[in-house]
Amino acid sequence: MRTVYKVLAYIIAAEVAVQASFVVLANAGLDKWVAGGGVLDKAVMESDEFPFPEVIGIILHGVNGGMVIPALALLLLIVSFFAQVSGGVKFAAVVLLLVAVQITLGYAGHELPALGALHGLNALLLFTAALHTARRARPATAGTPAGTPTATSV
Amino acid sequence: MTRIRRLRIAGACAATLLIVAPAAWLWQASLLPPAYSVMDMGYADEGLRASAAPHGQHAHMRHGDGTRSVVDLVADPRREPDVDVTLTARKQRFRLASGREVDGYTLNGRSPGPPIQATAGQLVQVRLVNESVPDGVTLHWHGVDVPASQDGVAGVTQDAVGIGRDFTYRFVARQAGTFWYHSHQVSHAQVAGGLLGALIIQPAGRPEADVDVVALTHLYHGIRTLNGSESDVTVPAPPGTRVRVRVINTDNGPTSTWVSGTAPRLVAVDGTDLHGPTAIDHAAILVTAGGRADVEVTMPPDGTPVRVQIGGPLSVVLGGSAAAPVSARPATTLDLLTYGTPAAVGFDAARPDRTFRYEIGRRPGFLDGRPGLYWTVNGHLFPDVPMYVVAEGDVVRMTVVNGSGEVHPMHLHGHHAIVLARDGKAATGSPWWVDSLNVGDGESYDIAFVADNPGIWVDHCHNLPHAGEGLLAHLMYEGVTTPFLIGGPAGNSRE
Repeated sequence: MRTVYKVLAYIIAAEVAVQASFVVLANAGLDKWVAGGGVLDKAVMESDEFPFPEVIGIILHGVNGGMVIPALALLLLIVSFFAQVSGGVKFAAVVLLLVAVQITLGYAGHELPALGALHGLNALLLFTAALHTARRARPATAGTPAGTPTATSV
Repeated sequence: MTRIRRLRIAGACAATLLIVAPAAWLWQASLLPPAYSVMDMGYADEGLRASAAPHGQHAHMRHGDGTRSVVDLVADPRREPDVDVTLTARKQRFRLASGREVDGYTLNGRSPGPPIQATAGQLVQVRLVNESVPDGVTLHWHGVDVPASQDGVAGVTQDAVGIGRDFTYRFVARQAGTFWYHSHQVSHAQVAGGLLGALIIQPAGRPEADVDVVALTHLYHGIRTLNGSESDVTVPAPPGTRVRVRVINTDNGPTSTWVSGTAPRLVAVDGTDLHGPTAIDHAAILVTAGGRADVEVTMPPDGTPVRVQIGGPLSVVLGGSAAAPVSARPATTLDLLTYGTPAAVGFDAARPDRTFRYEIGRRPGFLDGRPGLYWTVNGHLFPDVPMYVVAEGDVVRMTVVNGSGEVHPMHLHGHHAIVLARDGKAATGSPWWVDSLNVGDGESYDIAFVADNPGIWVDHCHNLPHAGEGLLAHLMYEGVTTPFLIGGPAGNSRE
């Protein structure tokens, strides 16, 4: 269970990185499309079509961020009950909380774009928290409390 | 296994259950039955009532139990049609006016479907034949206050018309104006795919404009079109002529229209003429999803061409072949709250019989077992949404509040409502009648209408995927029932 916990936390950290890359992919694609004469308006935004191929980035960002990551974070919390990592439940809860904040900021950014900027900053917090959570869960060696770095581990 | 270890595992299981059980319960509770009636959906909202006095007449076409079915609410069946059209629906690959081929839906082999033209007062009869649309089709007469049985909402006023079947719509086109028709079965897919067309009702007598232009905007698979064309629509108009451009927005988001070459007037919104419209000096007109705007221009005497831009990339170009320059959208948007001059509206909206609230929000949850972030009506997720109950003859007031983070073009079937106020600021311009109202995020609109068209009417967001995500409620008249079911053998979609 400790390994599952660790792997889940690492996956969440990786997912945050993937999220960042998705959004920039879409943004770059939009730039290129508009530069080539494309016009973005609400009709295009609300259609199910792909005006430019990189728009997949924003769709995946939504699905990944709205469904996959929260599911992973919830799973991490559940696994933390069984994993017996010292402080593991606490850190899993922090990750889940940051995910909830992240989703809220993401949607609130549609209304108040400044909150979108916080969405970017909170992503870094979440990334760090998930990474830290994963690193704390390395197998405890005799006499070494979980979460204390050892020379052999990375 | 030690006692402590056992206790620890039991604790972990209990904690897991605490998380999983509520989620499982919510998931299970959200599952929709395979067939259900909208009459059993959600909860009845009788509104805030001014008095308990009886309203209106409930005399004709009652069944023994005092109710009447939507199917009985029809146009005079003995009257001969003045306009008689057959529309055959197909799912097919077709050629746009521009020559490009796309996959979608057609009516009589084309999309947009044939424009239907009628004169106010005429009885319009349209026979819809489904040749090859697998999910079934219907036609809804967007903006026309038709008898309830003719409203074309699958599962509410009729069954979806399956392949090989047909359905005949009949209604009197009472009000002159710009309307459109579209499928109301799996509408998010069928409307986007092209199952739609323009419906123009001319006033009886001499037309108001010398030149009449329909400008139906639609996005086919990301391809922007005006009347199916990917390029500007050019219409000859000699100097001094009056031109009416009927902008119809069939897409899912608001669009804008603005004019260069002369100062236009906005003469009608949603098929209803405005009173005392003045020349618009450098402002864009917002046309919400499903909405219409009739823009009138008088061609300049010096022969300057006039460009009516719609959305940005496409225009109606009026006048000769001389170049009409493209202009950027004006920064300001025409505010219909103060445009034009006031006039009598025919009822006292200040003394409503019922007052309702339609508050749009958004929250995570399950809809038919699927997790997501869904729209709410008065805090409830679909299908637990209000059924607004009215009696025939009621003056109804409704406050539409949007705190959902996104714009919603709200469309009430079967009625036109008058806008009384936005964000508490009273309307002081022309009577502003709508069937499709752009309610921006953070906005609140007070609207009023007379419940003079008995039936069961959907009141939903015309960003059609939003309707599918649960932003759809109903307005129901006391004593009116529907025999139709969402789901069921006809496969009526819940939108």
